[in-house]
Amino acid sequence: MTKLGIAINLDRCVGCHTCSNACKMSNNVPMGMLWNRILTEGVDVMDGAQGTYPNLSRTYLPVQCQHCENPACMKVCPTGATYKDDKGRVEINYDKCIGCRMCMAACPYNARVFNWSEPRREPDFNYGDARVPVRKKGVAEKCTLCKERTDAGELPLCVRVCPARARTFGDLDDPESEISRIVRERGATQLLEDKGTRPQLYYFG
Amino acid sequence: MQLSRNFKVAIGVLAVLALAAFGAYCYQFVNGLGVTGMSNGTSWGLYIACFMFLVGLSAGGLIVASSASIFHVTEYKKVALPAVIVSTVCICLAGAFVLIDLGGIVRVWNMFLTPNFASPLLWDMTVITCYLIINLVYLYFMTSKKADQSKVAIVSRFALPVAILVHSVTAWIFGLHIAREGWHTAIMAPLFVASAMDSGLAILLLALIWLNRRKIFATSKKLIANLAGLLATCIAVDGYMVGCEVLTTAYPGTEHANELLGEMFFGATAPFFWFEIICGVIVPFCILVFAKNRQRTGLVVLACVGVVLGVFCKRLWLLFTSFIHPNVMGAPGLISGSSAARASEGVDAWAVVSSYAPTLPEVVVAVGVFAFGILAFILLAKKFLRWAPEGDDAQAK
Repeated sequence: MTKLGIAINLDRCVGCHTCSNACKMSNNVPMGMLWNRILTEGVDVMDGAQGTYPNLSRTYLPVQCQHCENPACMKVCPTGATYKDDKGRVEINYDKCIGCRMCMAACPYNARVFNWSEPRREPDFNYGDARVPVRKKGVAEKCTLCKERTDAGELPLCVRVCPARARTFGDLDDPESEISRIVRERGATQLLEDKGTRPQLYYFG
Repeated sequence: MQLSRNFKVAIGVLAVLALAAFGAYCYQFVNGLGVTGMSNGTSWGLYIACFMFLVGLSAGGLIVASSASIFHVTEYKKVALPAVIVSTVCICLAGAFVLIDLGGIVRVWNMFLTPNFASPLLWDMTVITCYLIINLVYLYFMTSKKADQSKVAIVSRFALPVAILVHSVTAWIFGLHIAREGWHTAIMAPLFVASAMDSGLAILLLALIWLNRRKIFATSKKLIANLAGLLATCIAVDGYMVGCEVLTTAYPGTEHANELLGEMFFGATAPFFWFEIICGVIVPFCILVFAKNRQRTGLVVLACVGVVLGVFCKRLWLLFTSFIHPNVMGAPGLISGSSAARASEGVDAWAVVSSYAPTLPEVVVAVGVFAFGILAFILLAKKFLRWAPEGDDAQAK
């Protein structure tokens, strides 16, 4: 079996949002939506600092679909539009999505965004990768782990563009892969482990 | 059918409101759910709150009607017919709200083509359909001259468990999400059944008192007082369960629970929480717990209105409190995605904590659906109910 995932080195993340923008571009994500958000931790303003002077720190947390092994969103989907594919990714069949938003309530990570209206893009054309399907009004969407790119053997664009090389993509089921080695040796953790969703996105550093 | 002038005006107003709702829904259908106040943070809004509320309202009726034959409470048999009418109308409106809330209703047939039996929403649709069918069968057996009256007893044996299931499955739409601490509790289903019992009984009492006054259907004062006594018990159970839930959330003093209770006690959803506790539980209970007060129609009406509005407020705080604080916090937070946010630039498109306010089209749709329900209730009541006062009430008239 294949179980694709990403490991993110938080010590290398500089909060530049390049992954977020590359994702938006590649996946044709409309205005008012992102599949990949970079949060500045513990503050209420972007790039803010935690603590009081002189004991200050600033850390970033990239958040996207965690491609859980036990996906809460998939269980609650009434039509089976959300599914776990053969490479271990959580994907959405947009033709089956009825827009009930059960998945959005179920996701502990707020990873999903909804096409509340007819998608609007600036500039006003489908700027995404030609292989990525265009979504309609009234469906939920989220990170696909760059399904179309990874199916063709390319890296997810967020991994490819990261200037700090913070991201590692690979097969968690292959013990020889770099990502498996990182999870094993670098004490990588998952987001909200107590929720039992068993994410395939790991954080370390 | 003789109709007074006021009556005609009232029907006219209700019809206009219902038509306006249809118009607003068409607007929403064309432009998408972006015309509502919902966002990626608060992904359910007024529609789902109304859905929870109406599923609850429909309970009281059917539970009273069916316990009449299951537990042989003969007095309740007299009000079984108006009770089932209230129940039928409410469950139709509840189903309507789920459909109105769907962003992709044109693809809804996928629920039949590739159903996912692990989804509580799928089961809710199934149970609501069963419940509606039972209501209609009930209505048929009670009103048709050809139907065998003894069959009512058989139908009611199915009606009671299905009525309890409807509320439980609706509760599980929320209660099964591990992502939302405010919802993820085993008491959610019993809490919904308790709220359903008290709000449902209160709306039934209001309907009966109104039917009495309009001389459409007569209910003895004694029976009203009896039902009001039952209502007092249900209010107490509901209040007790809210207390259990709040204490269990508060006691460990975890960070997320403190955020949640902070919003409920002093924050964004506090007005709804305190309205429910004071006007929906404490005041109506203190009125109805005294047998003397249950004889006075004015006080019963006051208590019932308090309970109904209180339970509506409960739906609001229950639904929205859990959407405010995302589990994974940080700046700039969630990308809001609402129409207002998409029209704005920069940081205004983001939200560290999520907020929600219904928009005009959303309110017009919600109000209109309720207006349509009242209209349907009036017409059904006029068609099926007969004015037949008995005993001392008849003499008094």
